[in-house]
Amino acid sequence: MNGLLPTGDALVFEARLILNPALQEEVLLHKQTLALVKQYGREALRKDIEDIHQQLFSHPQHRSFKDSILRFFKH
Amino acid sequence: MTSKADREAVLTELYKSMFPVVAKYVAKMGGSFDDAKDVFHDALIIYYEKVVTGGLSVANDKAYITGIAKHLWFKKFNQAISTKPMDDIHFDIADEPAEHPSTNRILQYLQTAGKRCMDLLSAFYYDKLSMKEAGDKFGYAGERSVTVQKYKCLEKVRETVKQQSLEYADFIE
Repeated sequence: MNGLLPTGDALVFEARLILNPALQEEVLLHKQTLALVKQYGREALRKDIEDIHQQLFSHPQHRSFKDSILRFFKH
Repeated sequence: MTSKADREAVLTELYKSMFPVVAKYVAKMGGSFDDAKDVFHDALIIYYEKVVTGGLSVANDKAYITGIAKHLWFKKFNQAISTKPMDDIHFDIADEPAEHPSTNRILQYLQTAGKRCMDLLSAFYYDKLSMKEAGDKFGYAGERSVTVQKYKCLEKVRETVKQQSLEYADFIE
């Protein structure tokens, strides 16, 4: 709950959590769901970045950009 | 950055201006093209999460991205360096969120079975769009209908996670 609730409410919530295993499961489930959603968002972003990379390194109009990068790696 | 096209334009601009800097640096330090690509992609993701959607204000976006890329490169190759100026950055893309085999299985399932809901939810929780922005993006008439849809999606995904967790008992730890 990370400080989202005022102190008093947070304490009450903590107490309810301890006393109520079903609520504990709900909270855990909610956290897992949010973690999955964030991971999904990150994967989508990673794919967008990869697509941009592919465009810049395969389309002829970006040829000079590509060459300027590859030059760094010719040892 | 509320639409895919906006995001793509911003990222492409950053790619063109910053990847040469990072690639040159990684090459100079003995890394390969793929090394440069990997650390640059991770740096862009961190920049997006911390600055674009996370509200962190940095004086110079481009310097921030190069700084992160260098830091990630140091970490990746565990270079013996005496000074670590970026050590005060307390995040590591590999550390969060925890990768778990069954998490990935559930994610794969949701990527196909619940794509629309996952797109909507990640617009809120990852891309940090407002109700209005998400409504526009997904074609909902008003904020009220977005709110309802968001709630339904959250319920649906939560139920999926619950079911799949029962199936893969190792998911709940």
